[in-house]
Amino acid sequence: MFDRITEVISLVLGALAVGYLVYEIDRRQRKLHEIWDVLDGEDAIITNSLEDMVERDELRPFAGAALA
Amino acid sequence: MRARGARVATPSGELPEGVAAQPPEAQPSAVQQNGKPPTASRFRIFIVDSGWNSAARRVLHENFALIRDLQKDDPIYVLSREKSVEFMRRHGSRIGRDPIIAVHDMHALNKGGTAGFHGFRLSLGLLRTPQQALMGLQAFARFLVEHRNSADLEADIRARLRREGLSGAIEIAMHHEAREIGE
Repeated sequence: MFDRITEVISLVLGALAVGYLVYEIDRRQRKLHEIWDVLDGEDAIITNSLEDMVERDELRPFAGAALA
Repeated sequence: MRARGARVATPSGELPEGVAAQPPEAQPSAVQQNGKPPTASRFRIFIVDSGWNSAARRVLHENFALIRDLQKDDPIYVLSREKSVEFMRRHGSRIGRDPIIAVHDMHALNKGGTAGFHGFRLSLGLLRTPQQALMGLQAFARFLVEHRNSADLEADIRARLRREGLSGAIEIAMHHEAREIGE
């Protein structure tokens, strides 16, 4: 009986540990994707507006010594 | 979807943010400087910063000269505060994530336009401490230098993100102190 309880507790704790690990990996990957993200079709409008500014010479390559 | 023509960075003179100090014809081009045909830049780097008083902004300002030296082959476009605020007003979901560094991969843009992968973005403003922001900026500079000749930049970025997620899991499993990422 005692062995059985110990076995169940071990299983529950093991499952909790694995669940936490999966949760933590997912959380970190979400966070990383928020910070680092690829530009794709969803960003087309923003990309085009930035490229248009360059094409129209509204933006020039920065040549100053430091940011203002 | 639009394919873009590559332009050559011809940095010259002192320019305020996003504003031309001289007309283009007055600026020496890459051709004028070395007598060789200009080579197209792989990347165009855009910095959008509406001016939040944040650790990330301070770190960016303090290290910008070094970033520029490291990325001298690629033009860096810094949006003025006014342009950045206007940008944020049009794209409200980005508010609070700036300074944002957007990198346009001109190979991908010229090949497939903006419909598919065409670069990546670092939302530096999500990194709350100076240490995190500095590490983010260093990772950004390292990634650009290491992958500027990459044949498949998208695969490189996705592989990096997978590696980061996995290394985080290993740290947890090993009971090491988890790396703080943007908390």
